[in-house]
Order: sequence, then structure tokens, then C-alpha cells
Amino acid sequence: MDTTTPTASSAWRRRIPPVAYGALVVAVFAGVIGLGIASGTLQTTGRTIAGGERVAPQGETSNEVKGWMAVGDVATAWDVPLPELLAAFALPADTPPTTSLKDLESDLFSVTALRDWLDTRSAAAP
Amino acid sequence: MTGQPLVILDASRSRRAGKGTVRRPRHGLAALRGVQGFRRGVQLAVALYIVWVVVDRAVVAAAGAMGTSPESICPFGGIETMVTFLTAGAFVPHVHSSNLVLAGAVLLLAFTARGAFCGWICPLGFLQDVAAGLSALVQRHVPAAFRAMRALRRKASPLAVLDRPLRLLKYAVLGWAIWGTATFGVMVFRDVDPWIALLDIGRESTGFGLIVLALLLVGALFMDRPWCRYACPLGAANGIVARFSPVRLERSAAACVDCNLCTRSCPMGIDVAKATVITSADCIGCLECVEACPRAGALELHVGLPVGGRA
Repeated sequence: MDTTTPTASSAWRRRIPPVAYGALVVAVFAGVIGLGIASGTLQTTGRTIAGGERVAPQGETSNEVKGWMAVGDVATAWDVPLPELLAAFALPADTPPTTSLKDLESDLFSVTALRDWLDTRSAAAP
Repeated sequence: MTGQPLVILDASRSRRAGKGTVRRPRHGLAALRGVQGFRRGVQLAVALYIVWVVVDRAVVAAAGAMGTSPESICPFGGIETMVTFLTAGAFVPHVHSSNLVLAGAVLLLAFTARGAFCGWICPLGFLQDVAAGLSALVQRHVPAAFRAMRALRRKASPLAVLDRPLRLLKYAVLGWAIWGTATFGVMVFRDVDPWIALLDIGRESTGFGLIVLALLLVGALFMDRPWCRYACPLGAANGIVARFSPVRLERSAAACVDCNLCTRSCPMGIDVAKATVITSADCIGCLECVEACPRAGALELHVGLPVGGRA
């Protein structure tokens, strides 16, 4: 590689041909993604784990609650009566339990608000 | 791209030419030979992948199921959730581990190749390049459009004093997005994010994001990469890490003929012709300046110590 035409004082430097730079860009980006896929870290959904097994809410911590979950499943997992949950956020009482949380989002209801409510409710429980 | 005829040089000739030899400019499709063709190919491949994800999601959703969310392949989601992930071990809504992996890829790329993510991969940057290319094409073939653009530039020239302070805006956007997400537990930037608006077009209430998207695309007809210059928080994060990169562009004052073609070709408006080592956090590594340089050896990429390009 050419190491001529120094323009800045430097202890060590090498010229990078433009095409090699492009190859470096592709290799680094694709390499990290490839590593993510190979290690099972690159999950594009919270609904399944690496093996494709479906995630079910366990009702252990509020961080488990995701927008794709059905409101009925959340109520069951956290042992909350569905009418109480719906009433707490002024949601229609006839909301089907299969409705996903993200489809219910409004100014009064969000996944974050539900997480906070579940935390508060479990802290207040005897 | 900035209303000037597109001038990109014949890299194959430059390889044969000796140091200091003047290279012949290339125009039109010929300009896509060499490294710019490589770059455009990478940009196009990434953009087509995104289109595939969006269409696949729409088809799967229409069938009553839920496909992969296009948002899960947004690197900025990983940066926004970083504080929540490190402090609480959780992701904010709409973020998955894929966002963190992609954020890691972008930041590692920023260290190894400076702003190359913006110049080579980011589909939003590519969209702005397409808009700028269309604008340049129209100006080349419609003299009235060229004259109108020239007059507009002349009238807008006093606003150039705002360029430098406005470039700081993206760091404020980055700070607000990270702080807001950590504080409120939701991605506060999401409602105004043009990328999310584009990915979820027609699916969710991304009204303001769509307005931002429209504004940046219209803006790109008049100025190269306005979103990247002034507002992109991912570009800001990229630029901060890139300051520590051992890779930099260097201009040889001895070989330079002061033609200013490098500065004129830079889509980020960096005054390459006046620098010796280009360490600007705004550099997107597109190599347009290197291709535009008529002197072999006057403008080259180097890797070296010390990192950041400072002696």
C-alpha cells in the first residue's frame, strides 16, 4: 500500500483503496448481523424465542408485557379481572379479550401505562 | 448533486495514472463505474430489502397474522432503549434485541469506517440521494429549472450563516430522544421519526412523521441530505463515535490543484478543499470527493494512528 503524501504527522498510516473501504463497510455491517443471527441474539420479534417457540406471558414482571399480547392473556397471567383492567383505563367493557394491547393504544392507554398500573397494583396487594 | 453537473472521475484511469496525473471526469451512467457503482449497489440492495420487509409484513398482516415488524430492523431503536436496557434489563415498547444488534453494527462501523453507515447503507440517506439525483436530472435537461434553482440559491445564500449552528440540532435531537425514552419509557422520537413513518406507512398514526418525511424529501430537491446535515439523531451518534476512528480522509496540499471539486461534490457540505485531515463528524464516507479529485494522490483514505486523525 502507498504510504506516501503524508499530510499529518502520524506514527503509523496506510492508504486504503476506495473499493477496499467499501468491502470493509459491507464486511463489518454484515459480519455483526451474521454474528447476531448465528448466536440467536438477533430477534426481530418478542413473540417467539430463538427456536421459534411462542412466548407466553408468565405474569412475573411487568417488563414482560408487550404490545402484541392479547389483553385477555395479560389479565389471566397477572391474575387481574379483565373488567377491572379495562375500567382502569376507561376502555370499553365489551373489548374482546383477544384484542392486542397495541390495538388499544390511546391517550389513556399504552403498554407503558399498563406496566406501571400492574406494578402499582401488585405493590398494593397484601 | 447540488445543481452542478455530476462530475465523477474514471477510477480505472486513475489507477494507471501516476501520482499527480490529471484524471478525466465521467458523467451520467459512466459515473457509476468504480466505487460509486459499488456504493449505489449496496444502498439499492439495502433499500430493496427494506421494501421486501414492509411488503411481506403487509401481506402477512392481511392474512390475519403478524409478520416481522419493520421497526425491529431500525438501529436507532437500539440506541434509544440503551439506557433502559442497561439499567433495567428491559426493552422499551417496539424494540427487540435485533435493534440492539443493529445499533452495535452501526457504532462499530462508525469506529472502523467513520460515517459509512450513512453514506453506504442508510435507506433514508439513499432516498435523499435519489431526490437530489432527480433534481439534478431535471436541472440538466430543463434550462428554466436550472435557472430557477440558481436564482433560489443566490437568494438563499445569506442563510448560509445558519448552516453551522443548525448542524448542532441533531445532537439536541439525539439527547432528547435518549433522555425522553429513558424518562418516560416510550420512544419519544417515534412520533416524529420519518423512518418509522415510511416503514409503517398506512398502518399507524404516524401523521407528524409523514410530514417530516415529506419535508426532508422536498428539501433534498434543493439541498443534498438535509435530514443528515441537521436533524438525524442516528447520524449524530455515528458522528460522535467516528471522532475516535483511525480511518480518515487526507488531502495532500502538495498534490492539490485547488480546483475545489471535492468541496463542490460533498453531499454534506464539508469544505474538503480547505482541510488537510477531514475529521468532520458530518463526513458520511461516500467518497464522492475522492472520486471528484482530478489529481491522483491529492485526496486519499488512510488508516493510521493516532485515532481521530489528530497528531
